[in-house]
Amino acid sequence: MTSDTPMKTLFTPNAQPPRATFLVMVAGQALVLLLLWLFYPLRLFPSLGEVFRALGDLITTQGLIQELWASMTTALQALGVATVLALLISYLTALPFFRPIAYAASKMRYLTLTGLTFFMALLLSSGHQVKLSVLIFGATVYLITGMTSVILTTTQEEMDHARTLGMSEWRSFLEVVVLGKLADMLEVVRQNFAIIWTMITLVETLYQSEGGIGLLLYKQNRYLHLDGVLAIQLVILATGAAQDYAFGLLRRVFFPYSALAVAK
Amino acid sequence: MTPYSYKEPVLTLEGVSMSYNGELILRDIEAQVLDVVRPGMSQGQVVGFYGRSGIGKSVLCRIMAGLLMPSRGTVRVGAGQQAVVPGAVGFVQQRYPLFDHRTLFDNLLVAARRKHAPDAARQQVETYLERFCLTPHRQKYPAHLSGGQRQRAAIAQQLLCSDHLILLDEPFSGLDVAMIDEVKKIIVEVTTMDELNTVIIVSHDIVTTTALADRLWLLGYERDAAGQLLPGATINKEHQYNLAEMGLAWHENVEAEPEFGQFVEHIKEEIRKS
Repeated sequence: MTSDTPMKTLFTPNAQPPRATFLVMVAGQALVLLLLWLFYPLRLFPSLGEVFRALGDLITTQGLIQELWASMTTALQALGVATVLALLISYLTALPFFRPIAYAASKMRYLTLTGLTFFMALLLSSGHQVKLSVLIFGATVYLITGMTSVILTTTQEEMDHARTLGMSEWRSFLEVVVLGKLADMLEVVRQNFAIIWTMITLVETLYQSEGGIGLLLYKQNRYLHLDGVLAIQLVILATGAAQDYAFGLLRRVFFPYSALAVAK
Repeated sequence: MTPYSYKEPVLTLEGVSMSYNGELILRDIEAQVLDVVRPGMSQGQVVGFYGRSGIGKSVLCRIMAGLLMPSRGTVRVGAGQQAVVPGAVGFVQQRYPLFDHRTLFDNLLVAARRKHAPDAARQQVETYLERFCLTPHRQKYPAHLSGGQRQRAAIAQQLLCSDHLILLDEPFSGLDVAMIDEVKKIIVEVTTMDELNTVIIVSHDIVTTTALADRLWLLGYERDAAGQLLPGATINKEHQYNLAEMGLAWHENVEAEPEFGQFVEHIKEEIRKS
């Protein structure tokens, strides 16, 4: 077998290109994207300068950072509550009695948020509560879907192994499903955090009293400030990427074993 | 011939049958493992259950480990001959599962805590790590262990929490010659740790299983008077071999003896007939 050149490894299936080659490739791809943006003859997007100017304006005059913080804290609050609820419901599927509940909860992700906010508004008094409960509901049903899938990956061999060590059924469940799959649960939370950002921008436009980055985006859209829209989208994108990185860091710190068996 | 005598039973299978969806897998299996005593020696025993692939050996393993209730019959274990429950028999499954989220030390500790107080459990783990040559790997996660280390760890984990009986499901499957020698050494090592330690090998590897065992049971199918195969694998009376009585047990390099070769050929012939 001949060894491939570093460049060739970029186009070889399952190859592991040298780190330096890979970084150069990423930088090259980013540069091509930037050049396309700067010099593409059809001006579909505002120019880079316009987006930066809009970003500066949004930060200084419209409180983009504060609005981002408000949305972020609401999103984290919703994610925290939804994670606890979803874990509880998913783990309870160990008991056959609770399986229909988890099944029904998972199917509720097909409900539309707009219809749901109406019922939430009838039940709750403050706009914040409505916003939060809609987000919690939306995130919980997606999280339950992912978490129950993780639980279903438990094999007979894993459970038998715990039982042969003399563990009771609950202790076996704790060891194999709860402790053994915590890293996978964190991954489910990471993947579904993005859904909260999609929902929050929608919910903030329905309940405008508390502001938020979603409302800011809505206003920029409404007045056709495309440079502002793009600036906010880029801020959300960067926030999401930072979140993904933070979750990856948490996974590496708390569950160092989780990356060991992954094919590289 | 090495002098020996039998004492109390350590494992008894009484009329064990198992059906799945109306299909009979195992039929009326009878077998009893007795504690073998050899003067001047403190060593447990190795017994083997041999059967072709797909005959129901893994089902039999799960029944003997108390993980599966047989459709009929009972399994009794230990000096008191209590009905088997999960955890009463150490069971090393084919792929040597360990808890992937725990380090090797923690994997052993979680097992040792079943029988020992926290300090004593740690001490036991240290002893087993040393005995199984795993001390340098104590802080590794299972994903970082080699096949041999993982196998030793899985056996040590089961030994730490079981009472003398340890069941190995296909311990030689997919291993090269060097690894098979390694597993054989581990099995002998386990039997020398306590007079009552009993290793039950369930395998389709005739030569290696026979070389290690002092008793052997052959799982197969019986035929009726018309020559038709009866449903459900079983162990008939002719397929229960006392290798100690035959002079084929406890010899070093027994595989090189002509009697051993003849016996293996006989077993192969019996399998072809069933």
